[in-house]
Amino acid sequence: MRLLTPALVTAAVLLSACGTTETPAESTPTASAGGPVTVTDARGKAVELEAPAVKVVALEWAEAEVAASLGVMPVGVADVAGYKTWNASVPLADTVKDVGTRNEPSVDAIVALDPDVVVMPEGRDATLAGQLEKYVPVVVTKGSDAARNFDRLADDLKIVAKAVGKEAEGDKLLADMNIALDQGKASVEERGLAGTPFLMADGWLKGSTVNIRPFGKGSLVSDVAERMGLVNAWTGEVDAQWGLGQTDVEGLTALTDPKTVLFYSASEDDVFTTGLADNPVWQRLPFVTSGEVHKLEPGTWTFGGPKSVERVADQLLSALAG
Amino acid sequence: MFRTAAATAGIVAAIAVLSAVHLTQGTSSTGVLDVLAAVLGDGDAQTLAVLEGSRVPRLLTALLLGVALGVAGAGMQSVARNPLASPDTLAVNAGAHLAVVATAAFGLSLPVLSSGAAAFVGGLAAAVVVLGLSGGGSAGPRLVLVGSAVALTLQSATYLLLLLFEQETTGLFGWGSGSLTVSDLDATAQMTPVVVVAVVALVAMGKSLDVLALGDDNATVLGLRVRRTRVGAVLLTVALTAAAVTVAGPLGFVGLSAPVITRLLVRFVPGFGRHRVLMPVSGLVGVLIVLGADVLLRAVMGSAAAVRVPTGVTTTVLGAVVLVWLARRTRSSAAPRQAPAGRVGVAGSTRRLVVTWVALGALLVAAPVVGLMLGDRLVLLGDLANWVSGRTGTALTFVVDQRLPRVLAALVAGAALAVAGCGIQSVSRNPLAEPGLLGITAGAGLGAIGLITLVPVAGAWQVAGAAGVGAALAFALVYGLAWRAGLDSDRLVVIGIATWSGGTALITLLITTSDPWNTAKALTWMSGSTYGRTLEQVVPTLLALALLLPLLWSRHRELDLHTLDDDTPRVLGLPVERSRLVVLVASGVLAATAVSAIGVVGFVGLVAPHLARSLVGGRHARVLPVAAVLGAVLVSVADTVGRTVISPAQIPAGLVISLIGTPYFVLVLWRTREMRT
Repeated sequence: MRLLTPALVTAAVLLSACGTTETPAESTPTASAGGPVTVTDARGKAVELEAPAVKVVALEWAEAEVAASLGVMPVGVADVAGYKTWNASVPLADTVKDVGTRNEPSVDAIVALDPDVVVMPEGRDATLAGQLEKYVPVVVTKGSDAARNFDRLADDLKIVAKAVGKEAEGDKLLADMNIALDQGKASVEERGLAGTPFLMADGWLKGSTVNIRPFGKGSLVSDVAERMGLVNAWTGEVDAQWGLGQTDVEGLTALTDPKTVLFYSASEDDVFTTGLADNPVWQRLPFVTSGEVHKLEPGTWTFGGPKSVERVADQLLSALAG
Repeated sequence: MFRTAAATAGIVAAIAVLSAVHLTQGTSSTGVLDVLAAVLGDGDAQTLAVLEGSRVPRLLTALLLGVALGVAGAGMQSVARNPLASPDTLAVNAGAHLAVVATAAFGLSLPVLSSGAAAFVGGLAAAVVVLGLSGGGSAGPRLVLVGSAVALTLQSATYLLLLLFEQETTGLFGWGSGSLTVSDLDATAQMTPVVVVAVVALVAMGKSLDVLALGDDNATVLGLRVRRTRVGAVLLTVALTAAAVTVAGPLGFVGLSAPVITRLLVRFVPGFGRHRVLMPVSGLVGVLIVLGADVLLRAVMGSAAAVRVPTGVTTTVLGAVVLVWLARRTRSSAAPRQAPAGRVGVAGSTRRLVVTWVALGALLVAAPVVGLMLGDRLVLLGDLANWVSGRTGTALTFVVDQRLPRVLAALVAGAALAVAGCGIQSVSRNPLAEPGLLGITAGAGLGAIGLITLVPVAGAWQVAGAAGVGAALAFALVYGLAWRAGLDSDRLVVIGIATWSGGTALITLLITTSDPWNTAKALTWMSGSTYGRTLEQVVPTLLALALLLPLLWSRHRELDLHTLDDDTPRVLGLPVERSRLVVLVASGVLAATAVSAIGVVGFVGLVAPHLARSLVGGRHARVLPVAAVLGAVLVSVADTVGRTVISPAQIPAGLVISLIGTPYFVLVLWRTREMRT
């Protein structure tokens, strides 16, 4: 008896595990307009697609946003729930499938969607691109570069636009973004706010422990604000990829210009206004005394594509107006 | 009496000096002169604000943490009658930390006090498990082994939460190592009464603890209610630790080193030996350590850069050094050591052996086949048959093609770890030893993450190579440090634990300074993942296994002899030290290649040999191959489970093993405890 039950279970499992999940035939390529496309991606690699991609899988949120903005709703995105929380600029359709975490997306899930192309940023996983390429064309974007984030954004956008055959739409997106930024700049100048120093930061609170993460020069958000004629007041050390620094409340005393404005994003707890409200150092900071403390709306993704950039620009502008 | 007072005054003076230096350090431009002026009542408003809003809270928090952890450590060492007991080695820190991270991950934003309560419950649960399993904490390293193992398990669970809730727990990674970046005194103020009450109560219990130090029997004869004293002291020390974790996260090894240093002073200041003095002085020494670590960190790195480094990293490294030094100092215990659990020399009947091998054979075939079938996409046997004959479509071919290296990596790494575990358990004659305890995994992790940090685009081979070099260096370090006119296995293991903790702290340091925004990658690597493996990554492990398993097997008689005691092999003419070195090096190489293939996977090297012994008896001729198969099956199953249960997201195989392995581990501990009493 002791052996019978497991044996029966095993037999049942084996029987049910027989059979196949596919008919052994070659899948027909997706019929689509346009001939073959060659995209030179951020690795400098020429990726050849038989036709402009229709079914796109994006493994990072900026790339997902860009594809959706171009009118090509991705079939799969890594951490869809996270995207919906953190990036409200370009909503994803309910049909978009989750392909796992951004750090370790599921190769099975990607393949199950039978995509025409996978778009992913450099660096998240060094071996993944090489593996996926055996099955599906992979286009790699730069993702972020604190040395040239605006140009990088344009390059990445063009790479994705070419892969999905929407170059005209891509150019329009860029043009729209530049128009929005130019208008923002004009508006800033009109109100005599050009040259206003700003600090953009986010932060975390754990008990009494506060971590503040300033967006230094080279971060995408900083580039947006500077493009509109503002000046980043944070001069501390930042990392080379994202342009992010790290400090505590005392470190903020480096900001002394009374005209300094604070923009911040906070997800759950509002670290800046509740966690620091009673702190004497905080209370003496220039933007606190002048009341220039502005929170970005939830769902403003500070590492996104052109639509996220426009959303950030809009909010900076209305904050300055308010 | 005079000496005690003078020595205490000396410590207090040192604290005063450090505090003064501490106040002058910070990320703002407020410097020594400003602070001096403020103290003389002539400070400007900005200086006063910086002092009040940042530096004084940080200083007071450091003072509170030092006292809490120092006294907690002293209390635990007394209760356990073991100089190696501490909030770290009793897993109290880890339990409290897990509780706090869990509340954050599940979005429970708790006010400080209830977060403190969660930390207390977590810490207490861990302490109860550890003390229970180690029989109330007998002298010797057993308590530390049990505690460290439980701590590592809890840490695995914490890692899992940090990985799955990456966005929700950003910032908690650094906090997890103990951070003093406080911006107000709320938490410190709320925890101060807890600490004061607990310290006063423990000091009041001083006389009882003095009596308890004489041993349970003597204490009972002298009229002490041993059980009640012990439970009371444990609760108080856990409350102290939980208060500290609530304020600043787990600040490593302060609770270990502070009382150890105090006890060393007893030689010069006999008055420190009594608990009523020992406890408060340990608290003061704790303050010295925390303040010293913080001052040192900021002096070396500069205050702005030091923000990124949790103070606990420094205290852990300092504590690890103390632990190593302590282990080298203590003479090897004369107590008889215990052979690995299981029936040494007893062979099962032939029929049992045949049944075992048939079952193992079936498992060895079934595990990888099921591994190929399950995952985010279900592949059926028919598909596999088609795949073998090359008739599957491109999608399915690809799915199976990319699963194959993962499945193979899990198999060979599992087998290598299990064999390494057999070798290490045999020569260290310690049922709780495993490759991680020799510092191998921490060294490999440090090597790999160091390379990823320096060369972000490093290929798989380079990473594997760096891991191998790191493992070899760490192993050489542990072995060299443990060698003092011969190798004492207890000392080896304690030094291994110190190296493990120190290595983990250094990994945290590397991550938080180089790439603070990409902790997930390093965490995944540290918790053992088969994700994205390629066939070429499997080759080194396969080679090591093919060469070293036969080598170890050919020496199975030596391994049998090592498990007996030190003398028998010598009497029989075995060159003990040389043979031991050969076995340890072979085991080390096996473990290092396994780590380079799938990252840090614990427990397999520990559990598989035990399982094997319980199946086929203690003779290594049988244990080695059986353990190899068991290890392979275990990791393979863990891998399959990890990428199936919450697909499309995945749990690293190493974490699955820790979580599955824990119940079994607890069982082993429970049974070996029974054997001892």
